[in-house]
Amino acid sequence: MARKRAKAPAARETVTTVVVMRLYVAGKAPNSVKAIANLEAICRRYLKDRYKLEIVDVCEHPQRALADGVFVTPSLSKLSPAPTSNVIGNLSDTDNLLAALGLPAGDLQ
Amino acid sequence: MRPEPAALSPSDIQAEAAFKDWVRRLVRGAAELQAFEGGQIDAVMDPESGNAILLPEAQAALQGTSRLVLNALDALPGEVCVLDSTGAVIITNRAWRAFVVAHAGAGLGVREGANFLEACRDAGAREHVQAEAVATGLHQVLAGGLELFRCDYVCYSPGGRCAFSLNIVGIARDGPVHAVVTRENVSERKRVDASRISGRTKAGRIAAVMQAGTTNRLLATLPAKEYEQLLGGLEPVQLTYGEVLYEPGEPIRHVYFPSDCLISLLTVVDGHRALEVGLVGREGMVGSRLAMGSTNSSVRALVQGTGRAMRMKSTRFLREFQRSPTLQRALFRFTDALMIQVTQTAACNRFHVVEERLARWLLMTRDRMLSSEFHLTHEFLADMLGVRRVGVTSAASALRRQKLIRYARGVITILDQRALEAAACSCYQRVQVMQLEAATHTA
Repeated sequence: MARKRAKAPAARETVTTVVVMRLYVAGKAPNSVKAIANLEAICRRYLKDRYKLEIVDVCEHPQRALADGVFVTPSLSKLSPAPTSNVIGNLSDTDNLLAALGLPAGDLQ
Repeated sequence: MRPEPAALSPSDIQAEAAFKDWVRRLVRGAAELQAFEGGQIDAVMDPESGNAILLPEAQAALQGTSRLVLNALDALPGEVCVLDSTGAVIITNRAWRAFVVAHAGAGLGVREGANFLEACRDAGAREHVQAEAVATGLHQVLAGGLELFRCDYVCYSPGGRCAFSLNIVGIARDGPVHAVVTRENVSERKRVDASRISGRTKAGRIAAVMQAGTTNRLLATLPAKEYEQLLGGLEPVQLTYGEVLYEPGEPIRHVYFPSDCLISLLTVVDGHRALEVGLVGREGMVGSRLAMGSTNSSVRALVQGTGRAMRMKSTRFLREFQRSPTLQRALFRFTDALMIQVTQTAACNRFHVVEERLARWLLMTRDRMLSSEFHLTHEFLADMLGVRRVGVTSAASALRRQKLIRYARGVITILDQRALEAAACSCYQRVQVMQLEAATHTA
């Protein structure tokens, strides 16, 4: 089943940009587990609650991956804000991940 | 799915190479290829079959995880088994297997490959009611109607009487629901609890007995001096739904004074069919036949509502009975009231419709349990009323439609007692009036 993790923006912030992402994983396979852990660590550190992440398990929902044009997992799609981007692999390359999410390295917001 | 790739035979190596070539053709773009070559990919999508195909490393890791999970199950002290959607046992842990060996198939000790529901159906006469309740709970979990089913039950194995606590949890994935059954032997804990209740000292024991015993009205009618005389022989016990206290023809070893539990007296016909002929709660005792000079039970005494009771060894009870005229009078009064109930029930079972009888039975249960909510299955009620299950279901539905009761997940709740009294047959009121008259005349 696809897990949805939605974080509501903080009440005090009036103008916020929420980063919307979808991560495709293969069950509890090692790279998939690492990818989830790496992504959540980055999100907690850089985005606080300004993100929405949906995790799709391709073992259970292969048709979703095919429909979205995803051929390998783990695979992260940043859906908004524009421009969209993709990162393949276990997301251990933090700089690459930050660049794909449009976050300058070392920028703690 | 691909076959296992880790083996080293030349054909496997060839297959491995062919698979990698296939993936390289499939992946698009440098990033995907780079991640694949760097070992950061778990699965690729096969556009032809529409399935996700795990890479050899991911497969091996997941198999390792599966083994680890099985080992972890074995390390648990409690008994665990996993059932598929048909109730077949597909995984058991070490503690479960040890139980199966120790109890020789009794007490729902089901082997891997056997079916748990069938084991419930084939349970012995003494465990029949409890096994039926477990089967009903399991059916509900597997049908997705219930997330967790929990019950206590007692089993009689060659090793003696054991008390268990059983949990059944549904695992709902996209496919059919599976179930995890966990069981804990609580005999020791119950024994410790009972000894804690009874206390180590005589004074503590008597205080505990007084506390638990005064809720039994038969004991409460005794003068303080008589009651104190009995205290030394009374022992608080916890009785569990479905537990059988006596079978017809078996010797009566203890008499029971219910505090907040409920006991059904059933007459067994043709060796297997049973019909309830009497209901005993806090107003009376079970085993009063001893006082009439018989040492064996004529009925099956079945615990129908879990709760506490005081019990006394038969020999001690007979001594006390012969010694105390007050106890004799109290017992005769109760036996008379029970006779009124039994004779009225006999006529009621013959002449009144199921719906009226069900309403009467629910009211009688409520009066004795002092609760408007009780755990019951339709099968159990069918046994109590001597009708087929469909008869109970339609009668219960009729009462539910009139908003007199609520029925959900094996729990019946009386919503409107007055209206239920109106829906019951005249036997309910009649027994109450006759018992009241009898009590007034003898008092």
